Amino acid sequence: MTEEEKDTDLGNLFRNKLEENEMVAGSDLTGRFMRRLDRREFLRFNPARFNIWYLAAAAAGLTVAGILFFTSPRNRAEVPGNQIPQPEMTAVAVNKDETDSRQNDSTTPEVTETKTASATVKAEAAPGGVTDRPGAINTPAGAAENDITVKSIGQNAASEPLTSAPTAFIKASVRTGCVPLHVRFTSPGTEGFTTVWSFGDGGSSSVNNPDYIYDLPGIYEVTLTVTDTRGRLGRATIKIEAWARPKASFEISQNNQLNDDDKVLFINLSSGAVQFLWNFGDGTFSTLSDPSYKYRQPGRYDVTLTAYSENGCADSLTINDVFTDKASFIRFPNAFMPNTGGPTGGYYNQLTDMDNQVFHPVASGIASYNLKIYSKAGLMVFESSDMEIGWDGYYKGQICSPGVYVWKLRGTYRNGQQIVMAGDVILLNY
Amino acid sequence: MMSDQNIIDGCIRHDRKAQQVLWKQYSGYLLGVCLRYATDRPEAEDMLQEAFLRIYFNLGEYSGTGSFKGWLRKVTVNTAITYYHRNLRHKHHTDIDDYVNAETGSRGFEEDFYTAEDLYRVLNELSPGYRMVFNLYTIEGYKHQEIAEMLGIDVNTSKSQYSRARAILRKKLEDLAKLKGVYT
Repeated sequence: MTEEEKDTDLGNLFRNKLEENEMVAGSDLTGRFMRRLDRREFLRFNPARFNIWYLAAAAAGLTVAGILFFTSPRNRAEVPGNQIPQPEMTAVAVNKDETDSRQNDSTTPEVTETKTASATVKAEAAPGGVTDRPGAINTPAGAAENDITVKSIGQNAASEPLTSAPTAFIKASVRTGCVPLHVRFTSPGTEGFTTVWSFGDGGSSSVNNPDYIYDLPGIYEVTLTVTDTRGRLGRATIKIEAWARPKASFEISQNNQLNDDDKVLFINLSSGAVQFLWNFGDGTFSTLSDPSYKYRQPGRYDVTLTAYSENGCADSLTINDVFTDKASFIRFPNAFMPNTGGPTGGYYNQLTDMDNQVFHPVASGIASYNLKIYSKAGLMVFESSDMEIGWDGYYKGQICSPGVYVWKLRGTYRNGQQIVMAGDVILLNY
Repeated sequence: MMSDQNIIDGCIRHDRKAQQVLWKQYSGYLLGVCLRYATDRPEAEDMLQEAFLRIYFNLGEYSGTGSFKGWLRKVTVNTAITYYHRNLRHKHHTDIDDYVNAETGSRGFEEDFYTAEDLYRVLNELSPGYRMVFNLYTIEGYKHQEIAEMLGIDVNTSKSQYSRARAILRKKLEDLAKLKGVYT
């Protein structure tokens, strides 16, 4: 075994044993992970998972605020501004980091907006002369919000900060994908409001949770406008990117009709694709752009080409029954005229021989072959087991006389089928 | 039994049940991936948890084309790479010292002879750099050029680390075979 084979062997060993290997994640690990996930979900504040813990956290925050407020009367004015927002600010900061690592996430702005709102409410609830302070709370939160691509804006926030302007949230089932891109939009928390969606490609809808399909590639800015019963507006936008799908197309070279030993050439006509996967229909695959392939057996094959774009969008095309058994056949001419210049040995090329000086079949898909030719007198004038050699019209160096000769063929096709054929051929006057 | 699509939709909604099902169905497979990249089991478990957090919060980015399992694996491998970069600062490298010239035995490696645990163990014993390159090249199927970009190293470093990793693994497996030969 050579070094190289040993290395392949080593690679195979690791690949075969480990690539699909599954281990058991114990219940201990599962428990630890689920607790970690819960902590993370809590910090990210998800309305879908709103539960008793958020209420408890809010209550705890209020209690702390109350205690601080009463224990330090001198700092009355600073208390709400300095103390209350702190837990909120940490939460916002956490979310901001996450946003950087995952660009364009729609859940983040919901979080930020809601946090700001709840801080406002708390400030209002804290006792004693605090109602003129929420601006101080809002400012840092607002500053932290600047980087976030998707924003939800309460129109009336500036003039009436303490009453609830409607807040628009957009959640999209997918943000990016291949055309036709089906996106399910939802706007949690807008029940009872009037919603108007604009999908960025001219389409619009007033349904609460619309489904939309983008047929053309592009980057679309989706806008949701909500109007509450008092006519105030909230707006949110989000970007959806629809990627072009490649077009898979190919042709098969036809020059293999006679000579089945040739490789089949596949001519790739795909557009918009950077990667290809060919399935030749007999369990063999290729990732070349324009592969050529030699089938081991004649037969019918379904060839599929899948083309992938840069973004992983795929398109595939299948051509069915690429090679039928018509590739296996044998036919004989019924006349020929020998070369009078002397025996030629009977070599011929069935693709290029147009002289008709050698008697030979046109065939494909032959596995074994035995041709015998007899004169009318019953003399065997020619025998060949080689497809490459036909009868040149000579017998023992002498040209045979014109007339009718009889031939008999025994053989097999590659698909195992037996061939027994007989016929006659006229040796023309020369 | 939930389909992958149901699980994905559920996880995007932060549905707890779907999150549990996703964990249940794929944690074993992905733990197997992490073990290849880790120094020991605790590190692999840590890596797995981080990978799953990434998976849950980035599911929206899975485009639906290509196999879901493949996507999960890719995220996990990326996590392992992040992990590698982070630990690079703390860990001392012993690349040169543990390079042994493998003596060449006559036969190849019988698959049935080694258990998956054996293979994990020899991988875990490699130094992090070797292990990373070997995994990415042999099992993940990346090219040296791509590996060099991912790890921020030179193409030639990737190639030489790969060939050294191979030599060491070969030596270790042959030693193990001898050892097993003695005891069985």
